Amino acid sequence: MIGIRNVSQIFRTRAGDVEALRDVSLEVADGEFVAIVGRSGCGKSTLLRLVAGLQSATSGEITVAGTPINGPRRDVGFMFQRPALLPWRSVVDNVLLPTQVFKLDQRDARTRAHELLDLVGLTGFEKRLPHELSGGMQQRVSLCRALIQQPRVLLMDEPFSALDALTRADLTVELQRLQMKHASTVLFVTHSVDEAVLLADRVVVLSPRPGRLREIVEIGIARPRSLGHDGHSAELGELRARLHDLLMTPEEVAR
Amino acid sequence: MTVTEARHARRDKPRADVRWAQHLPPVLGVVAAVALWWAITVVFEVESFILPSPVQVGQAMVEQSDYLWDNTLVTLAETLLGFGLAIAVGVPLALIVTASRMLERTVYPLLLMLNAVPKVAVAPLLVVWMGFGQFPKVFLVFLVCFFPIVISTAAGLSSTPADLVELGRSLKTNWWQTFRMIRMPAAVPQLFVGLKLAITLAVIGAVIAEFVGATEGLGYAIVASGASADTALAFAAMILLGVLSVVLFYLLAAIERFFVPWAGRS
Repeated sequence: MIGIRNVSQIFRTRAGDVEALRDVSLEVADGEFVAIVGRSGCGKSTLLRLVAGLQSATSGEITVAGTPINGPRRDVGFMFQRPALLPWRSVVDNVLLPTQVFKLDQRDARTRAHELLDLVGLTGFEKRLPHELSGGMQQRVSLCRALIQQPRVLLMDEPFSALDALTRADLTVELQRLQMKHASTVLFVTHSVDEAVLLADRVVVLSPRPGRLREIVEIGIARPRSLGHDGHSAELGELRARLHDLLMTPEEVAR
Repeated sequence: MTVTEARHARRDKPRADVRWAQHLPPVLGVVAAVALWWAITVVFEVESFILPSPVQVGQAMVEQSDYLWDNTLVTLAETLLGFGLAIAVGVPLALIVTASRMLERTVYPLLLMLNAVPKVAVAPLLVVWMGFGQFPKVFLVFLVCFFPIVISTAAGLSSTPADLVELGRSLKTNWWQTFRMIRMPAAVPQLFVGLKLAITLAVIGAVIAEFVGATEGLGYAIVASGASADTALAFAAMILLGVLSVVLFYLLAAIERFFVPWAGRS
């Protein structure tokens, strides 16, 4: 569904060129959930923005559903680190925004918006303004907004990183539940090993400066997964430890 | 949804006694100021044509209530007309100015120069150009209000929060959609900053215009009663001016709270 082929990205700044990504290749299958982890500055957000068409790569090619990306597209949904809700719009009107931009039938869209809000437990809050909601609820609204256009691919850029630890855990569980219900293709950037292990089919580890693909770790554990006391905590623990080590130990860089 | 989240989401309704406590300090301040004023007139036995006591001002207000009321309405009309005109011209101009860098660089210095001219100096000229009617007053109000409205609206339009700009980009909104759905509503709180500043200036503008070549209005009433040494009446008119200004300001603040309840929090 997503094809990333030999993508490199160089930012030209006044202080000189900064190599953000070097020769990254990755294929994401239809319905697959892939997490990208890495330390700060490994270019993981850059990679996501390239797939979203918010930036264009210096070299290499990115395709979604077989067609090359050359700008933001309707079949690609993007969820930001911050909720980025329009503060003057009610919850439901925020969710409806993409459908108005794309001029979709508003009656269908409204029905779907209510379904989505129900799915994330926000029934009864449709008419509220964003500032009346907690951070976790705002991010749920943001998720509904990213889903309403029924994108083939959902890109999530550290969507829970601005939330407190428990709200984060709540939302991770909820996202897992959603993913089990409607398997959509997701590319999920995070710096949390726990989130990656709980949510992803595969975890892509990037190494920093310049960002390169270091390793891809398969998470072959049945869902629903949890970090609590249940059947596969040993396997999960093993994978967490491995990812942790990959992130913490520097790799020799050939320059 | 967790319990804490639901609690967080509930609208905060201040309790009635808390509200009263909030209004107490300003009321106390006014009462204390009037008491001090009164004490000064009594203790120092000040002549009433120099500083009338609050009681004399109150008497003037009651005895001349019709005269004062008529003149208040005149000043109010000039203020609102000029203010409205400034919005009608200022907001579109701000749109034009922010539409292109080129226009901004052409128009801004002109605006700045125009604003630098002391409006008090313009008032007599306006009489020469436009006569003694209502229009020169409205025009002076327009002149003082116009600048803050243009500047604040333009600032609002060109300081859309970065995450909302990015959201628009990710949805590939066209120029008009970005403007209508994101930039314009995002500029409204800034617009209100300019409006609130402008409305206080507006009343001052109207009074200055009435000082020169007017036959009615609170500014005229102050000049006329001052000339006949009826200082109590002049004070009554000044107090009405203050009240008018404060009422208009809080009216705008109330309109803002109603239409832009999200201002200042995001």
